[in-house]
Amino acid sequence: MNMGKVVFGFFVLLALTLNFGFFLGDIDNPDHHNVYELFAALVVGLIATVLKFGERSHLGAVLLASSLVVDLQLIAAALVWAVAVHVTEVGLTPVVMASIVSLSGGALLANLLSVVLLTLETAGLSR
Amino acid sequence: MKTESLLFLFFRRMRVPLIVLISAYAIATLGFTLMPGVDDEGNPWRMSMLEAFYVVSYTGSTIGFGEVPYEFTPAQRMWTMVSIYLTVIAWLFSIGSIISLMQDPIYRSALRRARQSRGVRAMNQPFYLVCGYGDTGRIMVGALTSRGHPVVVVDKNREKIETLEVEDLGASVTSFGMDAQKPDNLVEAGLRNRWCAGVIAVTGSDKTNLKVAISAKLLNHSVVVHARAHSESATENMRSFETDYVVNPVEEYVRRMELAITRPDLFRLYHWISSGPGARLVPPREVPVGNWIVCGFTQVGRAVAELLERQGMTVTVVDPNPEGPGRPDGTVAGRGTEAETLTEARVESAVGIVAATSDDADNLSILITARHLNPDLFLATLENGYSTHALFRAAEPDFVGQPSQVIAGYMLCRVSSSLVEPFLSSLLERDNDFARDLLARLLKHQSDDSPEFSGGRISARRAPAIARAIEAGVEVPVSTLLRNPRQRDARLPLEVVLLRRDEEDILCPGDDVALELGDRILLAGRNRAARRVRAALENDRILEYLLVGEDRRNGWVWRQKAVSSERAS
Repeated sequence: MNMGKVVFGFFVLLALTLNFGFFLGDIDNPDHHNVYELFAALVVGLIATVLKFGERSHLGAVLLASSLVVDLQLIAAALVWAVAVHVTEVGLTPVVMASIVSLSGGALLANLLSVVLLTLETAGLSR
Repeated sequence: MKTESLLFLFFRRMRVPLIVLISAYAIATLGFTLMPGVDDEGNPWRMSMLEAFYVVSYTGSTIGFGEVPYEFTPAQRMWTMVSIYLTVIAWLFSIGSIISLMQDPIYRSALRRARQSRGVRAMNQPFYLVCGYGDTGRIMVGALTSRGHPVVVVDKNREKIETLEVEDLGASVTSFGMDAQKPDNLVEAGLRNRWCAGVIAVTGSDKTNLKVAISAKLLNHSVVVHARAHSESATENMRSFETDYVVNPVEEYVRRMELAITRPDLFRLYHWISSGPGARLVPPREVPVGNWIVCGFTQVGRAVAELLERQGMTVTVVDPNPEGPGRPDGTVAGRGTEAETLTEARVESAVGIVAATSDDADNLSILITARHLNPDLFLATLENGYSTHALFRAAEPDFVGQPSQVIAGYMLCRVSSSLVEPFLSSLLERDNDFARDLLARLLKHQSDDSPEFSGGRISARRAPAIARAIEAGVEVPVSTLLRNPRQRDARLPLEVVLLRRDEEDILCPGDDVALELGDRILLAGRNRAARRVRAALENDRILEYLLVGEDRRNGWVWRQKAVSSERAS
């Protein structure tokens, strides 16, 4: 067992689960979506991105790309949140919440792809 | 190594510091949102994510705006302390890692090499690839760059070429510290680049030069290969696969010595032309006939001894190993640096001495001792390395052979045009009187600097004006090219030394030989003078002026002037 692989798999998977946890719930209900969960998803996503740096295989490149998509989507969601609450002070209206959650939904898709690719790679390795 | 992989190398090495940094920021931000605080009215209050990240951002970067938006509670202050140490240490670690990566010699050399490969790929004018940066390589690089050619230098010894980056040369020099024997390295240095005009193999090892020559011939058919070879077998080997120019310093030394004996003016001309930059015309000095002493039965010593005997002289060899293979009878034992040995070799009755040992200090000592014993001796010597050059100049021998200078000179005059080689080989077949005339003609244009060669072709593309004139049936004599475009009676400081027509070479064609389409010509003369010929090649009016002598003044000003002068009359 390779400790590096464990850490790598752990962060990729954790990014997906946290993202999923945030995404779960009514799309426009602020009570169903916790800001700390978004924060955790973003931080874990960033760490997963850094871990993917320097993978020179073709699969590694796609993994890195999907991770960058995750970061971009979650940073956008966090920005929307910060602007709505602190800058324009409209608050978490259903419209704002829906756009935040849909952005995180995009990130979820990219995270899912990361995990699928990782699984495929592992499956290919054992064959 | 490719540039992209360098970027990935950077990120791979920065993985841990970056994760530390992200984690530190995340923990600090999270902590601030959890710490209980109070607002300005005393109500319990907690930071939002945005405010917490704001505080961490200015704390981590050590900017420190203070406690915003409200004064901190003790709990928040405690957490601020934690985050300060956390983030500042994380930053120090990251920056330290970046700096140590930047200073890593492996990373730096990879970075440098990637930059240089990029430079070679981006080359957009003819350049030369010089393999080996010894004495010869240094002369070649200096001369080629002063002519404005970019140069790529490959040498195994990185220290030697490091100085190249700081030297102020006339054109760009790219240097690679790698082994020229490997074809991949040569390709990286631009061997297959379409602008690669020539490969110059002047490393100290025959084997490397041979490999460079083979790689160059196989990987790029259009490139001109100049190679240096010391042993006879390597010379033959290189010539067998059509290396364009192979120079063997021993062969060249003997050839010059032979010319000096048989055709002194031809020797002066040849030596002047093919001794590289800074060559000076040697004063005329007859090589005396009689008894000669050859010190050192080296490759050069043996060849010179054979040459002298062929020329009807008697030769006494001085060698520390008189019983060695090939030594003639009567070889005197010793190095020749002592007066006794030289006296034993009958220096008093000798007319000349050749110091050809492989040690420069010995050669100098032989010269000085011999001159002391017999002041009228003709002193010929071999100068092995370039480092003692000043001493050899001070010793003032009558004939010096400096291998690196001989090789560089041989290659440099042939680099300028492919017609130089046929010119020199037909020149060497001529007699002394011919050489004396040509030398006198060239000396009219310049006193000391050796002539510069420049080749050209009479074709519709290269010389449109002349091509049109010839097609119209006008006879264009060779002398037209040499007239000054500003003043046709004056002559440019140039000579046409070779005209090649249908595979036939005419050495020094007369002024009235008519040019034909497809002719190739070789000009020799003062530096940069050949550029002024271009006007006659390209401009119909200038050509007509040069041919007929009339200036057809068809510009507006001239017409006005003509009208006014008509009125006046």
